[in-house]
Amino acid sequence: MSRWPVTGVGAVTSIGSDPDELFAALCAGRSGLGRLRGFNRSWYNADRLYEVDNRPAPGMDVTGRATALLLDAVGQALRDAGREEDLSALPVLIGTGLRELRSLELWWRDGQSFDSAGMHFGTALRRRFGADDTHTISNACSASLYALALGTDLLELGDADTVVVAGVDVITESMFGLSDRLQLDPPDRLRPFDRERKGTVMGEGAAAVVLQREATGRDARGFVRGVAVNCDAYHATAPDPEGIARAVTDAHHRAGVKPQDVDLVMVHGTGTPLNDAAEATALAEVFGEHVGSPLMTGIKSMTGHTSGASGLLSLIVALHAMREGRVPPLTGLGEAALETDGFRLVRDETAASEVTLAQIDAFGFGGINAVALVEAAR
Amino acid sequence: MSIRVSTAVTGVGLAVPGAMSPEDLIDSAPADAEPVSPAARVGNKGLRYKDRATQLALVCAHEALRDAGLLGPEGLTVPGETIAVLVASNYGNADTVCSVTETIAAEGATSGISPMDTPNASSNVIASTLAIKYGLRGPNLMVCNGPTSGLDAVRWATGVIGARRADRALVVATEPDNAVVRRLTGADRVVDGAAALVVENQAVAVMRGADRRAVLGPALRVHGVQECLRRLGERQQNPPGACFGPGGDVVEGSPVLGADTVCHELGDRWGELSAVLGVLQCAGAVGWFARGGAGPVYALAGHDGDDATAGLTLLPPGGVR
Repeated sequence: MSRWPVTGVGAVTSIGSDPDELFAALCAGRSGLGRLRGFNRSWYNADRLYEVDNRPAPGMDVTGRATALLLDAVGQALRDAGREEDLSALPVLIGTGLRELRSLELWWRDGQSFDSAGMHFGTALRRRFGADDTHTISNACSASLYALALGTDLLELGDADTVVVAGVDVITESMFGLSDRLQLDPPDRLRPFDRERKGTVMGEGAAAVVLQREATGRDARGFVRGVAVNCDAYHATAPDPEGIARAVTDAHHRAGVKPQDVDLVMVHGTGTPLNDAAEATALAEVFGEHVGSPLMTGIKSMTGHTSGASGLLSLIVALHAMREGRVPPLTGLGEAALETDGFRLVRDETAASEVTLAQIDAFGFGGINAVALVEAAR
Repeated sequence: MSIRVSTAVTGVGLAVPGAMSPEDLIDSAPADAEPVSPAARVGNKGLRYKDRATQLALVCAHEALRDAGLLGPEGLTVPGETIAVLVASNYGNADTVCSVTETIAAEGATSGISPMDTPNASSNVIASTLAIKYGLRGPNLMVCNGPTSGLDAVRWATGVIGARRADRALVVATEPDNAVVRRLTGADRVVDGAAALVVENQAVAVMRGADRRAVLGPALRVHGVQECLRRLGERQQNPPGACFGPGGDVVEGSPVLGADTVCHELGDRWGELSAVLGVLQCAGAVGWFARGGAGPVYALAGHDGDDATAGLTLLPPGGVR
């Protein structure tokens, strides 16, 4: 079985500007939820999001924020891996739900400066890092784990010795507006796997990892063991437990592990009634009698739903948890959803635990599923 | 390391004005062709609430799947799990995103926007729509990678097949013509069309008796058109029979091309092709080979002023003559 060392990580979220800060905030149960910072509050019922504070002034929105977060995370990952800021001839795969569509909105409606070259991230990655083999994959909320799957394929086939995989999203007004239109009673916060969950709340962030075919001198932060990707081909917005279960089983198969080998599941857990029920149902099915074996937690109650970035952010958190021997909780969880009966959910506070193998879930709009297995650097 | 999987094009579908077959792509253009009518081509069913880019994608996807023998009267002829979907589009949902934002500001509220636009606000709506329509359960990827997107999508199709994540892939590139796209690109002519290929593991294609139209060779994405050509040429013994350029005659005169190399610039005919270019070039190579044209054929997308140029080599199904 292959395993690919992660030699560098980078992350930016509403609760931390690097992976250490993010992990500390998650363990402290700190939430990034706040009043709308960039949109006109009087136009919307909902008034809360998990935004990253990288605007020039409160209420002043600008183009290029997703690009800025991405460059930050990629730069962090390269430094962490001890590499120069030179990405020429290195494949860079970027998973994103909403690309630079926020900039498109500001250009079209508000007359801000923007052009077609800014729609994909390759332009900025070339300028900053000299990258040329860049790929912007717009795969909704499973985008960064989809990108990770493609990255591991390049390593497996010998097409590259090193790849950079990233995920990024900032919130578009069109997506926020449409969800505001649909959520007549907007959720006050994001409550994954809670019986009283009312829906998702969007967040912003970026994540990046440097992944290699073989470790080269430097300590690995952990290993990617396998990534499965598929599509429900079932419904545009409603998830299908069967498609999710198929992805989880395939991921275990690719990593050569059994459900009882998994110590930790980082759930997708978006806090929407349908998504969480489908994910829990699929986990119960695949893990069967071992469903109580792994710890289960998620990050979205504190980071919000960071869409394309969320899968890779969860992966970086899992690697951190392995190193530190503690797992951050699902904060604010009241009564757990019925579908999670028998699950070992990490509630209220950090759980001390030695984690060797972790599963990371990410499921996206249109029924696109991605599941990764990572192993501790021991 | 695994043994490398070889891939071939086994199906083509076109939804561009004035071209019905791959051979039409290498002939000179009919002037003033009619816009593609999705309803006339595939019927109204399933088109409601779909944006223009998705409608165009549905037209040529249907044709490519049928052409490859993967879609019969009873539906798919192979398990849906064996088919990946790769869609390339830069501007597919740009008009939805802009108009929703504009309406919210005009009304000072979200009550005037249509919930039916919700799926279209997500850029991957095209790829997921195709998967749902035909039950395609393999990897599902939406490539939004600028001018090279079409060739990139073909490359990732060979990638997911090479990694044995699927036996074949439906590759579709689609772009709509509207006010947002025109203003953003600054182009006076923008394609309103789509093109589709079925890319398949050659061994699997042979086993099911599928007709191979072109074999896919090396692909790359590098700085600069000439560097891209040089790198493509390094891997081939013969100069290309044909070369599909990124537009603007920038490939002509390259030392990599032979005296007999025929250059095609599809952008001259349809204007700004964006993501559609690369997939249309591959369809053009299929037409070239069908006419007995020699291989290899090179396809290039992206200019020196863009972040990169993608290049792909296509070889005739019977081997290079």
